[in-house]
Amino acid sequence: MPPTRRLLIRAAFAAATLISAQAAGADPVTIRIGYAAIGVDNRPFAEGTSAATARAGNFVEDEFKGAPDIKVEWYFFKGAGPAVNEAIANNQLDFAYQGDLPSIIGRANGLKTKLLLASGAHKPTYIASPIDSVVASIKDLKGRKVAVQRGTNGHLSLIKVLEANGLAERDLQILNMDSATANAALAAKEIDAAVGDTGLISLAEKKLAKIVYTTKGDDPRFGRYAHVLVTEAFETAHPDLTQRVTNAFVRAAHWSSEEANRQELLELWGKSGTSTSVLAEFFAGETLKYRNTPLIDELFIDQYRQAAAKSKEFGLLRRDVDFNGWFETKYLDAAIKDLKLEGYWTPYDASGKPRAN
Amino acid sequence: MSIDAVETPRRLLSLPRPTALAAPLAGALRRAAPTVAWGLVLPAVALPGWYLAARSGVLPEQILPAPAYVWSTFVDMVRSGELASHAGISLLRVVEGFGLGMIIGLVAGAAMGLSRRVDDMLHPFFIALSQVPTLAWIPFLMLLVGIGEPLKILVIVKATLVPVVINTRAGIRNIPKGLLEVGDVLRFTTGQKLRLIVLPGTVPPVFTGIRYGLTHAWIALVSVELLASSEGLGYLLVWGRQMFWLDTVVVGMIVIGLIGYVSDRLLASVEARLQRWAPRHD
Amino acid sequence: MTDVAAPNGPRIAPSVHRGLVLPVALLAAWELSSRLGLADPRFLPPLEIIARSGWHEMMEGRLWGDLLASLRRDLSGFGLGATIGIALGTVLGLSRLADRILTPWFNGLKQIALVAWIPLISMWFGFDEAAKVVFVALAACIPVVLNTQEGVRAAPLPLIEVGRTLRFSRTQFLLRLHLPAALPSILTGLHLGLIYAWLATVGAEYFMAVGPGIGGLIIAGRERFDMPLVLLGILILGCIGFAIDRMAGWIEHRLIRWH
Repeated sequence: MPPTRRLLIRAAFAAATLISAQAAGADPVTIRIGYAAIGVDNRPFAEGTSAATARAGNFVEDEFKGAPDIKVEWYFFKGAGPAVNEAIANNQLDFAYQGDLPSIIGRANGLKTKLLLASGAHKPTYIASPIDSVVASIKDLKGRKVAVQRGTNGHLSLIKVLEANGLAERDLQILNMDSATANAALAAKEIDAAVGDTGLISLAEKKLAKIVYTTKGDDPRFGRYAHVLVTEAFETAHPDLTQRVTNAFVRAAHWSSEEANRQELLELWGKSGTSTSVLAEFFAGETLKYRNTPLIDELFIDQYRQAAAKSKEFGLLRRDVDFNGWFETKYLDAAIKDLKLEGYWTPYDASGKPRAN
Repeated sequence: MSIDAVETPRRLLSLPRPTALAAPLAGALRRAAPTVAWGLVLPAVALPGWYLAARSGVLPEQILPAPAYVWSTFVDMVRSGELASHAGISLLRVVEGFGLGMIIGLVAGAAMGLSRRVDDMLHPFFIALSQVPTLAWIPFLMLLVGIGEPLKILVIVKATLVPVVINTRAGIRNIPKGLLEVGDVLRFTTGQKLRLIVLPGTVPPVFTGIRYGLTHAWIALVSVELLASSEGLGYLLVWGRQMFWLDTVVVGMIVIGLIGYVSDRLLASVEARLQRWAPRHD
Repeated sequence: MTDVAAPNGPRIAPSVHRGLVLPVALLAAWELSSRLGLADPRFLPPLEIIARSGWHEMMEGRLWGDLLASLRRDLSGFGLGATIGIALGTVLGLSRLADRILTPWFNGLKQIALVAWIPLISMWFGFDEAAKVVFVALAACIPVVLNTQEGVRAAPLPLIEVGRTLRFSRTQFLLRLHLPAALPSILTGLHLGLIYAWLATVGAEYFMAVGPGIGGLIIAGRERFDMPLVLLGILILGCIGFAIDRMAGWIEHRLIRWH
């Protein structure tokens, strides 16, 4: 089977190169954007990131309003980051919103991508337990059944939090579940804790679970990091389109960072099926600028390097990751300049402190 | 006779005829030698091809990792005991679920085969049960009993049960009326009839059902481990997939295939022996 | 995963009323316990709630879409698998060389529990419909190959001699002799392939990317703790499986008689 499959791929590849060679003209292009999450009950929307804003608010579609030849398609993945990697490997996506760990795993396995901008990069992680559970802190998790989706940025975030509390993954009974399954299992009290975010806040709101811990307010390095990436193949074939898509995402990040839009933003994200009150809680006490910054700053880059080192240390990664040329900020810089947003977002240094410009 | 349930499993799996298996070991070996040699042609061509393709980058490793890499992963996993621990957990689950399913299946199947009344009541129920694939019951059982160990055992029990019941029932029913009449003439007690007529005649078909049940149990195990587990060979595949370790996935598949093959062969050789030993009715 | 009833389908016992005792008793116990509050209605919802859920899903239009999506997936996978299966089976049945080289490997790969292919196929084909169809095709292909090979190989010797006397060409041998002789066996393979394809369709919908389908419906029901939806899905799966089996059996029967 593999050789046949190989042939098919090569044929498809040849066809694709032929097509993209012609696409230099004004031939129709479909921009395929993947998102490493899915809405409640599999709605094709997400929340909590500037990429989710871009989707729900049609920022990318609006960017190409005047170009009928350019189509935009969005794909949402219940299998989260790992499933996005499979799609990228099969040449089924051009852009993707994805977390740090899955992208690093993809890079280590030879997926050719470039990171364009941060999105959802300061997202806090939550850990919740059944409402009447004795679990009250991270240290209580020792020996307990904890659900997390392996290979996602939530997984890495858990590892960082455990480490800070003197624990390791092997001290827990880790159950591998996607967030919908984990939420159901938590409500049914089948597990002692789950790692996630809005799904858990929602359960806590319904008194079906309690939040035991959140990285919010703790060391900003414990949270999850994520980004929007482009495949090298698309970037090489369409640098102009890559720039315009980046512009659209940066515009969405800007709109999502304006405090005046807070209520409207939470309602827009409601398309994913998550209630506004849950999202309000998710964003309470933090500025939108902090949460929705697109900047690939020192903190961001350092976190990715550490993520790779930690993943290798914990056996999630078997090889070193080459970071050279992976962070491609020229499109982001041009977009910020274009939109006159220089100095709008605060960059952070590697220790997690704001850096004066 | 409208149903040839005893025949079905063999047809499904298209196994070699029992007579072929009953051949003496030495002869089998002698005959196997050329088969093995011919069987090596494909890997002799494919392995270097795979190696070269992987090395030159024509075959990206996210499609298929190089054979040497798969091998080194295999060796690593054996050395660290990881593979043995996953396989052990899976095997334990199968032994428990299959054992329980087999016992229930034998009892129910025998009751249905021996008593018309029990059969009338239970048989339609079993037919209905067998119409819905085991896979479909998993989410239902997950809601009912959660995702713990009982779920895995229940699923495997269900998978084992159906073929064992159907074959046990058919095996008993297929005992020629004449033989039982002879028993009547000889004034056998029920116990004697069971021991001397029913049992010897039904062992081969019942065993076919058991063997088929084991195949089902193994597939059910992998399904349930893929869907809801944190250990075992099925989970190994999920874990490998999520971490983008194709080598781990390939190793997991090979081990699943090997265990399935070895256990089926073992039961097949027992079956062949039974078939030879059993009295012929025709 | 496979619970394949005998292709010919067992005949229901003549004393149907006795056969009804157990199901009726079970249903009555179910209904009573959920009504009297003995069972948690979350686990065993009253029957009319399942009926209402079915009605609702049907009227909302989702059920039909799911059913159609599953059937389309099932049939396209089966079509692909059957075509490859007949071709491969014929080659293995006619060519000694191909048989010697490939059959051991085919038999080895066959031992891998079918669902264990899902992760690899997902990694190879991503989230497209293609991944699901390929998996269904793989499932359908295996019994077709085995039965075709067996049927083609088993062409009666006298017939072959007749063919030799008539100086049949290779194509004539294949079309006039081997394939017709193998027809009953091929039909059995196709019948089994259909059953396997339906099982694989459910498996693909469980484990691969989210999309419309009855399997997806069941999984969504579980996540929402919606027992009526899960039971409805199981009922539909069973009915469709039964219908496919019966229809295939009928066609097989007709074709063989005609043949």
